[in-house]
Amino acid sequence: MAWEYSEKTKILFMNAVHGKPGTHLGEIENPDGIGEHGSIACGDAMRFTFRVERHPDDPSKDVITEARYLTFGCTSAIAASEALCTIIETGRYTPLEALKVSNEDIVHFLEGLPSQKVHCSVMGAEALEAAVFNWAQKRGVDLKAHGFEVPTHDENEGRIVCHCFTQTEPYIKRKIAELNLRTIPQITDAIKAGGACMACHHQPGGLQDLLDEVWGKNSDGEDRATGTQTDPNQPAPELSPYQFAKQVEKVLDDYVRPMLARDGGDVEIIDIKGQLVYVRLAGACGSCPGAATTLKLVVEKTLKAQVDERVRVIAV
Amino acid sequence: MTLIYLDNNATTPIAPEVVRAMEPYLTAHYFNPSSMYEPAQQVATALKEARATVATFVGASHPDELLFTSCATEANSTAILGAIKANPNRRHIITTEVEHPAVLELCRDLARNGYDVTFLPVDRNGRLDVRDFVRALQPTTLLVTIMHANNETGVLFPIEELARLTKETDPRILFHTDATQSVGKLPIDLGGAHKDIDFLSFSGHKMHAPKGIGALYMRRGAPCRPFLLGGHQENGRRGGTENVPYIIGLAEACRLASAHMADEGEVARLRDRLEQRLKAEIPHIVVSGEEAPRLPNTLNFSVHFIEGEGMLYQLSEHGVCASSGSACTSGSLEPSHVLRAMKIPFTAVHGSIRFSLSRYNTEEEVDQVAAIMPEVVANLRHLSPYWDNARNCPRPDAPGYAEIVGTN
Repeated sequence: MAWEYSEKTKILFMNAVHGKPGTHLGEIENPDGIGEHGSIACGDAMRFTFRVERHPDDPSKDVITEARYLTFGCTSAIAASEALCTIIETGRYTPLEALKVSNEDIVHFLEGLPSQKVHCSVMGAEALEAAVFNWAQKRGVDLKAHGFEVPTHDENEGRIVCHCFTQTEPYIKRKIAELNLRTIPQITDAIKAGGACMACHHQPGGLQDLLDEVWGKNSDGEDRATGTQTDPNQPAPELSPYQFAKQVEKVLDDYVRPMLARDGGDVEIIDIKGQLVYVRLAGACGSCPGAATTLKLVVEKTLKAQVDERVRVIAV
Repeated sequence: MTLIYLDNNATTPIAPEVVRAMEPYLTAHYFNPSSMYEPAQQVATALKEARATVATFVGASHPDELLFTSCATEANSTAILGAIKANPNRRHIITTEVEHPAVLELCRDLARNGYDVTFLPVDRNGRLDVRDFVRALQPTTLLVTIMHANNETGVLFPIEELARLTKETDPRILFHTDATQSVGKLPIDLGGAHKDIDFLSFSGHKMHAPKGIGALYMRRGAPCRPFLLGGHQENGRRGGTENVPYIIGLAEACRLASAHMADEGEVARLRDRLEQRLKAEIPHIVVSGEEAPRLPNTLNFSVHFIEGEGMLYQLSEHGVCASSGSACTSGSLEPSHVLRAMKIPFTAVHGSIRFSLSRYNTEEEVDQVAAIMPEVVANLRHLSPYWDNARNCPRPDAPGYAEIVGTN
């Protein structure tokens, strides 16, 4: 797919490549903060540097006055880098405030990014974060004391599996193991991966393959789709299938058929699979459209009460 | 001699609007939609719009649920083999005895390779017994693949109900339908009435787009591995550069079908008119699936004691195009598997004819065919050893006489 960029993205990109005044391409010598993110191997890399106006007493009150980037990447990566520098400079943020600039802010500034390109904005945010950590080290600012967590993992490099949420193979695999995720819906709930276009679910190298790699191919195939849900096809342990069927027949005879007979109707059991009971209305009731729904509810309620709480009735 | 084309279940004439819509993409806009430059992006935008049009036409909630293939056969294989690959722990498949060879042969091959396949039978009107279907569902069932409309007889299967029963039994069982004959003739609403269907295949050339383009609806999240690997196209679900001109053509065909959906009532009227006249004027014919719900355009009937090819040949002399059984099975000398599954009397199964109409047919055409047919049949019966020409009925010593004369 060719990408559909916003006008803003295209303009920022063209201005940057033509080195128009006001653009931020470059690298600051002896910067106060330097951060890198990405690698040439994964197709996007950014070096972000900034200079601060130092506060005489409290380094945490330094203000960023100048931000520059060198970016290896596509149109949107360069535009996102421009956006980041512009946001930081015009906001006159302290580095600590700058940490709150997120990839969503960058996307917003760019007036949107194609979903497959959202990772470019993430790269900007990550490089900024790294640069602030670097500044904090140099200036002796304790980030933890200011309520920021210093990450210990760096899994932003690697093959992107979920393009919608820019999640990489190493990250997803670690989360699968850490959070004991066993199914694709569990992954999506925990870390969003696979939650939008769903294309990565069953692609080669997709989420199912990562699950198989972490847990083994045949860990429990039947657990895959619905997780811990009990299998409705398993018969009740107390009753054999024969006893179960006999009892369903008996309850229908005793409770349901007399009721239907008053209107000239009857009920036919088509099949019983585990606790699933398939029934069809016969006789006069069969032609009444409302009857089918009512029947299902009545029969199900009766069987649940008289035979087994787990019974489900399916109208055929 | 002007042509009367009544073989629209085999293929359809390409709508002039479709040709016009495609033309720019065969000439000026030849670019690869994956390329970066502006003209290619225009092609990518057109592709995106076409996908949205086709998705809307079948009621899909998201355009990316539609992927384009080279034909319906590829769409069927993509869905069936992909579902199997994504569900390695299950081995049971349910289909019917009357599927198109694109599904039937694949399922037979899977059975040869260790899969457990249930081939559901049909009754004399080509209908499934839903009770048989329910009983066939097993804890190991991974896939149901049942066609929407039969290509030979036009008989419709209640796929909404079958899909509902499947999902109520076990949401993990995948439901595929080959809707090649129904898309364009009947409304399909995958977000509404058909919401329990996971995969739906269809083809352009049955709905006035050219041959060489098919489509597969794949519900978001339905487990399915790709069939054609080797490309990022179609979200990695089908490698290969998109066939842009034909995709544009298919989208235009969908637009037209949507605008002309009401005309299907007129198609049904013409089909019924033809059916009534033939039944009135030719003794001892059997309309296939007469008592079943059918497509509006299809009339399949069998003529006792004569052979279909002899009728086709004479019709062709009159410029009338029709089929005997499925065009796909005509290469073999076996009578149609569909009609045999319906237990059409053996005296009639060789004498089957299929007329399939489209919105381009007229009442005059239908009347012309109705006028020709009695003579076409009479010419062959005249030669038949089982026919009494003086009384214009079967000879009493003809096989199955009692049944035929008794039931007709």
